[in-house]
Amino acid sequence: MSIYGVNRGEQAFPEKSLEDIMTSEPIISTHNLNLWYNDTHALQSISMDISKNQVTALIGPSGCGKSTLLRCFNRLNDLIDCVKIRGEILLDNENIHAAGTDVVMLRKKVGMVFQKPNPFPKSVYENVAYGPRVHGIKNKGNLDGIVEQSLRDAALWEEVRDRLHDSALGLSGGQQQRLCIARTLAVEPKVILMDEPCSALDPIATAKIEKLIDALKQDYTVIIVTHNMQQAARVSNYTGFMYLGKLIEFGQTNQIFENPREDLTENYITGRFG
Amino acid sequence: MSDKFHTELNRLKQDTTEMVQFARDMLSESLNALFNQDTAQALQVYAKKKQIREVTIALEDRSYQLIALYQPMAKDMRLIACTLKMITAAERIGRYGKDIADMVKDLQDQPDFTQKLPMPHMADLVLGMIDDAIVAYKTENLDPIKNFTSRDDTVDALWLSILREMLTFMMENPKTITRSAYYIMVARYLERSGDHACKMAENIHYMITGEWIEIE
Repeated sequence: MSIYGVNRGEQAFPEKSLEDIMTSEPIISTHNLNLWYNDTHALQSISMDISKNQVTALIGPSGCGKSTLLRCFNRLNDLIDCVKIRGEILLDNENIHAAGTDVVMLRKKVGMVFQKPNPFPKSVYENVAYGPRVHGIKNKGNLDGIVEQSLRDAALWEEVRDRLHDSALGLSGGQQQRLCIARTLAVEPKVILMDEPCSALDPIATAKIEKLIDALKQDYTVIIVTHNMQQAARVSNYTGFMYLGKLIEFGQTNQIFENPREDLTENYITGRFG
Repeated sequence: MSDKFHTELNRLKQDTTEMVQFARDMLSESLNALFNQDTAQALQVYAKKKQIREVTIALEDRSYQLIALYQPMAKDMRLIACTLKMITAAERIGRYGKDIADMVKDLQDQPDFTQKLPMPHMADLVLGMIDDAIVAYKTENLDPIKNFTSRDDTVDALWLSILREMLTFMMENPKTITRSAYYIMVARYLERSGDHACKMAENIHYMITGEWIEIE
């Protein structure tokens, strides 16, 4: 049945099809990725492609490994002694575990926003300028430009332009989280990882972050971990469902939430377990 | 999602099944009243129009509340989507029953020629399709609705046949015009009820499989 040229079961406003994405160059690929915390096999044979300039959501019950997987993409798990990783993670076709990988540069390319807003106890300006300074930009004019652009991109500029030199800790929770996003954008990453970015925020601040995520995909690739399935459905183009360390199902978000292929996914998203 | 949601969802499905059955019975009873010239039964059917409207609104409200409160996904979402379509289709079927019942009093003094028509046969086919849609919805089983395309083709053929026959009656004898015109409408209502059964079947297929089919 055709309504305005759209067949039932297809998206009215289709993104690229999964096949297109899978045949196009992914920005991040994992191949047979395994991770252990001591004897606990926390990630089991994860193989997936993360598409460029798309939002990918990872969902699953607590302890399923979604945050662990997210932290693999910028090697944040390296900071945990008992972690052992096998398998391959490619960022722009380069293995991020290869000898000689500059982890600082990796984390510049793959920025991260955490569950609770964690601005530095400095001014709004200094929070955003910190990263570029670490990477060698000293010129005040350049820094001013980066700070303004990053705050604009994080949809925060209009709210803080008159208080750039006030403490960031005086901002509201939602503003602090957008400041953290601006801080991430200031070093021009390719990928932004978000680990439950809205779980400490009220619904209005959450809506602003979600709108921002949608805007960010024009220039960045976003990977978001969320326990909020409605949020995953709203903001993402692709969704991966994880369970007990395995990637059970990965596909276009509308397919996952309307007609999942796997019973486990179905049972999770309909609230029958988890 | 809470057990409360799934309890409420099951109750919604159960009540929707009963509502579709109620609408189906309105159509069936109105046809009995028409074929038997039973004005008392026709009045009883006509009186149910308020009830079917109230039940429709109540079930729709409950569906919207479940969506608003629980944001259901996957098969739960598909069940509610299907339920809303079932309710709409069933209300139409019930109202066709009411409209047919309303005709019975007008046909009291008109010459009768029902026995010459395939109308009862057409009614059996349409009611059978509605019955099978109810079973498929209730049991989440595709078997009862799998041959709806050919069954609907038969119903469509009967509708055209009755239309042509009625035109002949009217041309031959102007005294039959009133009853013929009414019967054309009844046949049309039955054909539309068959289409509503097909729409229900399409939505039941989506509810069960997540895939859309078209029953033409």
